Amino acid sequence: MMRPRLKQAGWIAALALLGLASSQSDPLKAAVATGGAQYAQVILDQDEGQRLCTQYQSQLPGELIPKFIEAQKALIRYPANGKLLGDWQNGEKVFTDPKRGNCYACHQGDPKQLAYGTMGPSLANYGARGTSEPILRYTYEKIYNSWAFVPCSLMYRGGVHGLFTPEETADLVAFLVDANSPLNRR
Amino acid sequence: MRKVVLIPMILAFVGAFFALTQQDQPLDPFEEAMKQREQYLKTFGILPGDLFASQGEELFHTKRGPAGKSLEECDFGLGPGQLEGAYPYLPRYFADDGKVEDLETRIVSCMQRIQGFKPQEINRDDVVALTTFVASKSSKAKMQVVPKHPAELAMYNLGKQLWYTRAGPRDMSCAVCHDDHAGKRVRLSPVMSPQQGLGSEWPAYRFEEDRMYTFENRIQFCYASVGIPAPAFYSEPQIALTTYILAEATKAGHSFQELPFFTR
Ligand code: HEC
Ligand code: HEC
Repeated sequence: MMRPRLKQAGWIAALALLGLASSQSDPLKAAVATGGAQYAQVILDQDEGQRLCTQYQSQLPGELIPKFIEAQKALIRYPANGKLLGDWQNGEKVFTDPKRGNCYACHQGDPKQLAYGTMGPSLANYGARGTSEPILRYTYEKIYNSWAFVPCSLMYRGGVHGLFTPEETADLVAFLVDANSPLNRR
Repeated sequence: MRKVVLIPMILAFVGAFFALTQQDQPLDPFEEAMKQREQYLKTFGILPGDLFASQGEELFHTKRGPAGKSLEECDFGLGPGQLEGAYPYLPRYFADDGKVEDLETRIVSCMQRIQGFKPQEINRDDVVALTTFVASKSSKAKMQVVPKHPAELAMYNLGKQLWYTRAGPRDMSCAVCHDDHAGKRVRLSPVMSPQQGLGSEWPAYRFEEDRMYTFENRIQFCYASVGIPAPAFYSEPQIALTTYILAEATKAGHSFQELPFFTR
């Protein structure tokens, strides 16, 4: 009974100390800790990309862009079978699922779906670009890590964060480019 | 007493009514809220937010807590018991406890200092009702958050820093939606910037959630919806973001809506 409570108290004390110790140099840490341990953990545990996008308010200076893009490209993983074009029907599920793609939050997709967001460009008729290797590769990499093309974009790096797997990314590609996908039917 | 009994009754009615208005063609969310509001008024002659406000009023004037006092001595910045027009100046610095507080944090600190409650004895539902009541005394008032005291300026700067912080599994910050894409929609919900009057609706009854929401509840909702664990009530990140948003909306000359507001 005593143990976990002590442990928790110790942790909170450690966090508070951390806050106090760094409060001269970094008032952010101390203040964020008052929001709770879980909140502080996520806010303070940024990766390098998030840190740069925060520092420059999502407008990276030009000279930082090539290195940034290189670092983001290096985070992209591919399906074990090497196929960038998967199953559009499963892709539709991932696209729609609020816990995975949640793409309708920002994009128009199937023209029949009217509850779509407008923060991103419409993806209806995306298949008009064809299914050449460069198109498949761009689409795959863009969905897996949007920041490898547009640094600090609003569009999150779903593959990098594991919101969907490399295989599911290939399914999303199929949902965008397959001629039978409702995105491309007219 | 009669009014208090009405709350669960109205809330039970909500689910059924909401289901009725689902259609093939999605209704503009603002129009949808106005329709729901009309229905409430027609059916009950009163809005849910007003029931919370009157519950808060009763709590405000009742002698409670270990000290057996009402909250009439609580100073919201214009002097003890001065409620009219106090909300638009919050968050602000209070010399009596040396802190910058938003309305709900001020209520909590008065419940501790004046009524003698311990923090763990303070019921969130009571704070929500009290917040609704005090804010209702500033319905449609002009926003007046202008940080001047060094502690207010520090709070504003912290809020600004958090506003731009990209974090969590969806790489979000408040700014990428509420500045860079303001005027666009997430699904069907239009997103506003502070310059367009973000923050003018709270406290509000949200019929889709079937609950009364304060400003802090609303901030928590956005954090949770982008996969970041929400900051605790009455914490510095809450007060800082509230200060930042309302100071920016004040600069743009905005006023509050009818408070308590009714929304989706
Ligand atoms: C939070 C908003 C948001 C979400 C969610 C989102 N996107 Fe995007 N998306 C954008 C924005 C903004 C752009 C344009 C800027 C850019 O390219 O990054 C974009 C661009 C794109 C592009 C490039 C379009 C082109 O013409 O080359 C593709 C493809 C895309 N998104 C697919 C997706 C898919 C698939 C999902 C879900 C897995 C998704 N997006 C989720 C905001 C979003
Ligand atoms: C992915 C986009 C997105 C992000 C990121 C986001 N919000 Fe929101 N926010 C929304 C949407 C959508 C609404 C709902 C608008 C509506 O109901 O009309 C909203 C509503 C709000 C409201 C209430 C609207 C009003 O009129 O007062 C507040 C306050 C708010 N957000 C604050 C924040 C804060 C603070 C953050 C950062 C911690 C944040 N939001 C991050 C999309 C976002």
